[in-house]
Parts: sequence; C-alpha cells; structure tokens
Amino acid sequence: MSKESESGVGSLQRSGFVVRKERFYGRLIAACAVLTILVTVGIILALSGRALSFWSQISPIAFFTGTSWSPVIAESYGVLPLVSGTLIVTVFSALIALPVGLAAAIYLSEYASDKARSILKPALEILAGVPTVIYGYMALVYVTPMIDSFLPISVQIIPPGVSVLPEFTLVMPSLGTFNALSASIVVGIMIIPMVSSISEDALSAVPDSLRQGGYGLGSTKFDVSTRIVVPSATSGIVASYVLAISRAIGETMAVTMAMGMSPQMPYFPNVLRNLAESSQTITAAMVQIAGADSYGGGPTYEALFALGLTLFAITLTMNILAELVRRRFREEY
Amino acid sequence: MATEETTSDQLGQSTALRIQQLKGQLFEVALVAATLVGIVSLLVLFAQISNDAFRPRTASSTWFLVYFGTLVAPTAAFTLYARRRPAVRTANALAFAAVFGGLLLSFVTYVVVDALSPYDVFIYAFFASLPPVLVLAYDRTTDERTYTGPLIPVSIIVGVGVAALVDGPISGPLGVAAEWIMYFGLVTVPAALLVAWLTASRRGRRTGAVAGGVVAAGGLAVAVASIAAGVDASLPIVVFSAFAVPTGYVTWWSVKTNPEGRVGIAGPFVILGGVLLGASLVDRLGIESPDSYLTPTLILESWDGLTASNAGVYPQIVGSIIIVGFMAVLAFPVGIGAAIYLEEYAPDTGLRGRLATLLEVNISNLAGVPSVVYGLLGLALFRRTLGFGTGIVVSAAGTLGLLILPIVIVSTQEALRSVPNDLRQGSYGMGASRWQTLREVVLPEAIPGTLTGTILALARAIGETAPLVIIAVATTKYSPPSGLFSSATALPLQIFAASANAKPEFRHGVVPAAAVVLLVLMLLMNATAIVIRNKYGRTN
Repeated sequence: MSKESESGVGSLQRSGFVVRKERFYGRLIAACAVLTILVTVGIILALSGRALSFWSQISPIAFFTGTSWSPVIAESYGVLPLVSGTLIVTVFSALIALPVGLAAAIYLSEYASDKARSILKPALEILAGVPTVIYGYMALVYVTPMIDSFLPISVQIIPPGVSVLPEFTLVMPSLGTFNALSASIVVGIMIIPMVSSISEDALSAVPDSLRQGGYGLGSTKFDVSTRIVVPSATSGIVASYVLAISRAIGETMAVTMAMGMSPQMPYFPNVLRNLAESSQTITAAMVQIAGADSYGGGPTYEALFALGLTLFAITLTMNILAELVRRRFREEY
Repeated sequence: MATEETTSDQLGQSTALRIQQLKGQLFEVALVAATLVGIVSLLVLFAQISNDAFRPRTASSTWFLVYFGTLVAPTAAFTLYARRRPAVRTANALAFAAVFGGLLLSFVTYVVVDALSPYDVFIYAFFASLPPVLVLAYDRTTDERTYTGPLIPVSIIVGVGVAALVDGPISGPLGVAAEWIMYFGLVTVPAALLVAWLTASRRGRRTGAVAGGVVAAGGLAVAVASIAAGVDASLPIVVFSAFAVPTGYVTWWSVKTNPEGRVGIAGPFVILGGVLLGASLVDRLGIESPDSYLTPTLILESWDGLTASNAGVYPQIVGSIIIVGFMAVLAFPVGIGAAIYLEEYAPDTGLRGRLATLLEVNISNLAGVPSVVYGLLGLALFRRTLGFGTGIVVSAAGTLGLLILPIVIVSTQEALRSVPNDLRQGSYGMGASRWQTLREVVLPEAIPGTLTGTILALARAIGETAPLVIIAVATTKYSPPSGLFSSATALPLQIFAASANAKPEFRHGVVPAAAVVLLVLMLLMNATAIVIRNKYGRTN
C-alpha cells in the first residue's frame, strides 16, 4: 500500500536500517503464512510415506475392496466395513443436522428478533464447542438407555394376508451397549451449528431488495423465505451441507466411544439393524490401532497411515467441493 | 345475486388467507423448534451429567434450605437491586472479573509453577525478563530508538538461552533459598510493578511508587505471618498477589471513580460469603449434605481406578493447562503473523497475489482436516522425525498448535478486516511506515477480536482428544508434568479411558464429575470470549 522512500528527497528517505528492518518484519510475517503450506505438505508427506509402504505389502485393491477388517487376528485389511460404519453415522447424523440446521438458519436470518438472535447464536455455537469426548460419553451413558426404553418397535409396512405381496415388517431392534444410533444423534447435534452458521451467512447475504420485491408482489413471509431467500442462497447452503458432512466423516471420539470397535458390513434389507448394533468407523479404527501401542512398525501400524490418507483424501475432496460450489454458483448481487 | 357472489368470493379469500396465515405460523413454530431442539437436548444431557456428578437427591431438604438462605436469596436480591442501576452493574462486573479472575489466576499460577518447580520457572522468568527491561530502560534515556524495537525480542531469546545454560549450575545454590522467595519474585514483584505502573499513569509517579511498595511490603508481611503461623508461605503469597491485590485495586478504583455504583463491588462477595457461610452452617449443624462426586478430592488428588471416592484428576488438570498454555505460546505468534501477512501485506495481484490466494484456500482446507489426521502428523513429526519421547508436553502442545493454527488465523483475519481503512491511511499520511502503522494503529484496534478468536481456539484445544490418543499420550498418570520434555496427560484423555470402566460409581459418578470440570473450563473460556466480543465488538 505505502511505497515509502520513493520520493527521492534525501531528508524524507528512511535510513537504510529502517528500510531493512521493515523488510525483515515483512519477511518474518510472510514466513509465518508460508508455514501453513508446510503443514499441508507435512501432512501429505507424513501420511503418504507410510501409506505407500503399507500398500506395497497389502495391495490397494485388496485394501479398498476387502470386506473384512481384522488387522490383528486375521491380518485382513479390507476397508469396506469401516467405510460402511462411517457412512452409517454420516448419513443418519446428516438426516438430523441438515434440516434442523437449515431451519435454524432461516429462523435466525429471517424471523428472529435481534435480541433472540444475540442469545441463540452463541448458544448454538456452544453445541460445536463441547468436547467430543463428552458427547461420546453422553451418547454411551445417557442417550443409549434413554432411546432403548422405547425399543424395540416393529412397524408392519405390508400386513399379512395380502396374497400378492409377502408380509413385510420394519423392525427397529433394541440397542446394544455400543450402537450407531446414539453416535449418529450426538454427531448430528454437534454439526448443527456448522450448517446453521454458514447457511445463515448465506441467507443474510441475500439483498433486502429481493425480499421487498417479493412482498411488493403480495407474497407472505413464508413464501418470501422459502421461494426467494432460500433458493437465492442455495450455493451457501450446499457448501454448509458439504462441510458439515465432512466434519461428520472426520469425527472421532464420539463415534469411538458410542459405536464401539466391531467392524461390520451393512445389514440388508433391514437397514435399521445397522443403527442398533455396534460397528466401527475409519476414525475409530485409527484410535484402536494407535491405542494398541503397536509401534514396532509392521503392516498394522502402517495401516494407520493408510486409513489416515484415505480419510484426508475424502475430507479434502469434500472441502474443495464445498469451495467450488460456493464459487461457481455464487450469486453476484 | 351480485352481492351474494362478492360475499362468497370474499369469504373464500379470507379462508385462503387464514390458511396462508396458519401455514406461516406453523412454519415459524417449526423453525423455532428446530433452532431449540439441539440446545434443549444438550441441556437435558448436561442436566443428567451434573445430576450424576452432584447427586442433589442425596442431600436433606435442610441442606437446600440453608444454601437457599445464605446463597440463593441474597444473590437474587442483589441481582434485582443491581438490575436497574447501570453504575452498580459496572462496578459489579469489574469486581466479578477481579475476584473470580484472581482466584482462577492464583490457582493456575500455583499449580503450574508448583508442577514445573518454582526454582526453574524463576530462573527462566528472571533471565527472560531482565534483558528486555534493560533495553526498555535504555530506550527511556536516549533518543536513538531505531534499534531498541527489534532488540527486545532478540534480548528475550538470548535471555532464555542464557537461562537454559545457567539453569543447571544455578538451581543448586538457589535451592538454599525458600520456595516462597521464588513465588515472591514470580508473582508479587510483577503484581507490584503492574500496580505501580497503573497508578503512576493515573496519579503521578510518586503515588505509583508508593502503591507498588505497599504491594511488595504486603507480600512480605503475608510471608512473615504465614511462617510465624507455621504454614508454607508459597500459596498465601500467590493468593495475596493474584487475588487480594487485583481485588483491592479494583475496589479502590471503583470507590474513587464510581461512587454511585460502589455497592456493586459487594456482588462477588455476596456469593463467596454465601458459600462459606452455608458450608460452615452445614458443618456446625451436622446437616446431611449431598454425597457429591465433585469434591476437593476429585480436583486435588490423582487417579484411583479401584476406589471411586479416592479418584482425582489433579495431574490431568495441570497437564491440560500446561499443554494448552505452551500450545498458545507456540501457535499464537505464528497464527497472528500469518493473518497479518494475508490481510496487511499480501498484494491482490501478480505472483504473490496468487500465492496469497493459495494460502487462503490452503488455510480453509486445513480447518477442515479431521483432528485424527493432525495426530498422525504429530506422530510423524515429533516422534519419527525429531525423535521425541512418547507423549511429552512439547509433542502434545505442538500437535494441538498445528490443529488450532487455522482457527487462530481466520479469527485474527476477521479482526484485522474490521479495522477501518481510514485509520491506516491516516497513519500512512502522517509518515508512519507499514510496520509502525501495524504496531501502533491496526493491532491495538484488532486486539478484542483477536482475543475472542484465540480464547475460542484455547477452548477447542482443551477438549481435543483424538490427536492426543494418536500420538500416544498416556491416559493415566499419577503426577503432573515436571517440565516441557516430561510426559503429561490431559483431562479429556482420562474421561475417554475411564468411560470403559463399567462400575456404576465410576460410570455415574467420577467420570461425570470429571466431565463437569472439563465443561466448566470450556464454558468459562467461551463465556469470556462472548463477553469480550459483546463489549468491544462492532464499534467501527
């Protein structure tokens, strides 16, 4: 911004030392910024070195298509059960957090009074600030028994006696000590503020003239909110969804504590059984390996890094996707 | 016919209108419900955790009556009284900050210094602060100030280096001196200097010197009194300097400047007095108090995995404080520096402009990297590359520091962005250089915003568990870390480890109590950040 010492008038020129000092400070600060690149490079190097060494022993095809994860006992390294566990938690927590977060964002941006907003916004942010280990504990000790008291529930979708179709009953069985449902619920609660705060920013950025135009045409507040403001802010909302899902994928402690350590392939066709039983996510498997203290090396220890690289690749892709959505579809008002 | 038609038409319209209205109302109710559902369910869970930790049902009803009389009723009466009197509220807020901030500061200072050995901390503090003080003194006497600015950080680094060299030889002979002398040097001397400086800037030099002298003399008197009484003088000195001195100063200041609101000073003492009075009454009258798990044992003892009533998390609390504190020292300068570069230095165009865009994208991606992955980075960096031992303070702090770096950068950037550009232009117009503008104009304006962001980052770091598990920090240890290279443990790790313990007195007792401690720490930090943001935010 300021181009000092360009005037050429001797008396106005800063002394050589001051110029050098300024340059030195500038470089020092730039070095701090460049350090962040080094962190990314460090992550990639740290992960890929050992992960490649792992994949030279266990073929990547076996790793990515194997349906059994049992690193210690059977030495089988198929990642699909872990991916399934991660997907179960992600899908069900997203089912909770995405609609709730968007509704909260619409309320905060369109309906809430200034006073309500000044209380509710920090309160919502606390949801994301609670340590995940406490979420995990609450899921294990309080949420599971609370929900289990209503279970099992069976709903007859197709009653017996209809001759054409086989009878079909949807059963939500009782919960195990470790189960995916309580983990999904707490992860869902945890990522609500991620959706609500980013979506609210997007909704508030919609200019008032669009709203006024809607009212001028005789629309109700409901119509203006749902047909004008929300569609205009789609890009921001989608970005918030992607970021929240990415956060749910990377969530570790809550799912480790509440969902347990038994990798499972998904159950079909009764999908609800997946929720009631224990399973293991990618992150929980990493915690298990690290906690087992097998630092001697070997494929199990290196599998930690292969899992980390997989996780890093997934979340990085999603973050870049969110950024692209935001840029590509950004409305210029 | 015509009239009939219009009425029916109007009627139809009004029904349609009413449906519309109902739809809108239902929608709003649904929105409110959605906003509240997360908050309410968290509150329900918190209530269950605190119910397990405090066990209020085990107390007799007299216990509740006593505390209602000594604590709740006076506090409520005082709050009602202060509600409509802004002067009282101002004084009350100041007194609250001084009293409870002072208590917290005393606790943190004492446990950290006690864990790290007061002699070592004193040596490092002495050698790190002496050179910059000398440089500042020189700066006062001369007009040639070109070199003093950069000399201060250099002299601190040199001082720390000297301290590291002489620590071994000196700490032996220094050990002859009593511990309380170290605490006097570490806490009372800075408190006295601070009071002297604050008073001098408001009341002139002489009063300042007297005030500082009074504080120092008070510290000595406390030491003499406690030695005469036969107790170790260390803790009394810390409490005097970090609690009594700020409280006294704020009281004096409020009485002088805010005579209308001076009743407000009593606010925190109503609460403290209520607690003490209630406790003594309960003790005297032998009232059945709740069989709570949140006891002094929990906070001051070390872990016991067999007997719940003996289990404590003192080493874990101190470990968490030391890890997070050292992490702040590592991460905040770098994070703030990076934010300054991106906001104030980086050009928008050209090759370096592209670099800046790349940096921004990279930082937002780093913020989205799962914390377990940072654990792997820490494992590879500190254990494999640098060859540090397992689970030492430096690795834990470094790993968490890398994790919170993006949060610090983004919040500092926001704070810098909210500083109006006119201020910068004004400063440049008066001939200030970029660095001078930054140091004298931009950074002071951005302090509240930066502080908010950094406190939130600390709150995030203190609850972080997954990266510590990955770098194999021990879950249970029986003594707090004795130095930066000694192994440590942290509070969330203990909660994680103990959650596997299925005994009811752990599952529904000690672990919820430890969780309450962690939650209180985190909520305190969040509340501080929110208060700072509301007080200084959006001044433009």
